[in-house]
Amino acid sequence: MSPSLNEYLNQFEGHQKVIATVTEVLGFDATGLMTFIVFFTGAFVVVNVMALVGGLGTYAERKISADIQLRQGPNRVGPYGLLQFLADGVKMIMKEDIFPAQADKTLFNLAPLLALIGVFATLAVVPFSSGLTLANLNVGVFYLIGVSSLVGVAVFLGGYSANSKWSMLGGMRGASQIISYEVPVTISILTIVLISGGMSFGSFVGGQGGFPHEWYIFHNPFTFIGFFVFFVGMLAETNRAPFDLPEAESELVSGYHTEYTGMRFGLFALAEYIEVFVLCGVAAAAFLGGYRVPFNLGDGVVFVEKLGLPPIIGKNIGQVLQLGAFLTKTLFLYYVVIWVRWTFPRIRVDQVMTICWKYLTPLALFNLVGVTIWVFAFDGHSIWDVLGHMLSSGSGGGHH
Amino acid sequence: MFENTLFFLSATLTIVGAAGVVFSKNLMHACVLLLGSLFGIAGLYATIGADFLAASQLVIYAGGVVILMLFAVMLTGGSADSSNKFGIEKIPGMGSTKTYVIAGFSVLVISFTILKLMANFMKSYKAGELPAFSSTVEEIGTLLVTDHVLAFEISSILLLGALVGAAVIARPRKG
Repeated sequence: MSPSLNEYLNQFEGHQKVIATVTEVLGFDATGLMTFIVFFTGAFVVVNVMALVGGLGTYAERKISADIQLRQGPNRVGPYGLLQFLADGVKMIMKEDIFPAQADKTLFNLAPLLALIGVFATLAVVPFSSGLTLANLNVGVFYLIGVSSLVGVAVFLGGYSANSKWSMLGGMRGASQIISYEVPVTISILTIVLISGGMSFGSFVGGQGGFPHEWYIFHNPFTFIGFFVFFVGMLAETNRAPFDLPEAESELVSGYHTEYTGMRFGLFALAEYIEVFVLCGVAAAAFLGGYRVPFNLGDGVVFVEKLGLPPIIGKNIGQVLQLGAFLTKTLFLYYVVIWVRWTFPRIRVDQVMTICWKYLTPLALFNLVGVTIWVFAFDGHSIWDVLGHMLSSGSGGGHH
Repeated sequence: MFENTLFFLSATLTIVGAAGVVFSKNLMHACVLLLGSLFGIAGLYATIGADFLAASQLVIYAGGVVILMLFAVMLTGGSADSSNKFGIEKIPGMGSTKTYVIAGFSVLVISFTILKLMANFMKSYKAGELPAFSSTVEEIGTLLVTDHVLAFEISSILLLGALVGAAVIARPRKG
């Protein structure tokens, strides 16, 4: 299990040779420089691909909603309307950039940037595959919760700085909702921390297996509930329907980004779609086995032994499989998020707070206590291990 | 070299943010600058390898405290003009020579007291004197429930008291 991108590359001879050559050419130890280049390239690629995913998210949203409502959806720009998001982007850049006369200019400019910075900063710890993790921090999940709360500040500032009643109400709703739902989400993640014994995504995914019965969601009854608590809280944190009160179109025009035009609005929208992807990825990594592939195909040993491929190719095939497993789970959750949005009606403000504080938080606390007792009583084994042990010892006892 | 760069970046962010908080006329801007300063402090923690503290700094301050401060400032109308409708300064006591002198003096006294207190913690442990931990999370967890369990419990009781108090104050009175 290689902890990060650089250490994954370091195990290959080719990469070591490149470092040696660069060292010879430049005349000083190039390990640090190469590490920097590797991380820079990795971060650059990940951020750009994620921006693309965010853009395609808007397309998926429109296409799936069209499907649900028996419409066609975007189908003019490119094959199946696939390039619609590029056309939207061009439109947004070309639009006139309007500052409301009474707006707080600095904060008005800062808010969309903060949203995007907060979301892009979370990408550093998202475990795409065992090799493609930019940084496997010891406190990965905690870090992710911390930087993603910048989005809450951004929503609030965006609502405040525009100096409009709609925006203000939307911003206040957004900020209160985000900080409230952080509580059940964090506690649900804490149950996984308890089971896996670490806060990094590496330890989360490492403790699970490729098959559903090895995933943490089916580890014990409490984590099964915990997953749904996490998922509902996640919907609320990303301001997705049925919790899209900050931008409730029917009451608040467009909520906290009412006064934003052009690409500034685009940054908010992009940040939202990428945040949904990141949080779906967290759900997949924490509860659904992340990048684990069944039969341990992910480490690529099988390809080397059975097919006689060189280790480097076997490893990379494994990485591609892991990436596929992660993306499949994440995109499935992404689909569910969109599906939920176009299925459920929006709930009221008081219902949002009731759901969070009277239902989800107590449920999450109950799960935390339950998982603690489970881990203590069964020494961290999953319900299937316990059942299997009981059955085998029961039948064994029957014979004697 | 990387750590030096990180240190200088975080230190600059901290100091510039803090100075901005003090000199900013607009309370809302001061709050946002405070966020920058707190991020700088998180960076400083990361520089010395205290990853858990850095992350907690982000979660607690960026996620909770700053948003609550923004809320409070906004609801009290703090970002409006500094003088009221009669042309009188709302906060006249701030920023006169007297306050600067007193503040400077108290900063000296407080920092000396803190340095004196800190002197005990400043000693560096030899290798093997403390058990080896793979991450600061385990270390902090172990210390919290062993050596510092009393402080830990007292602070949690304090927080519970604050929570109950807030609920009592916020509760609508009947009759």
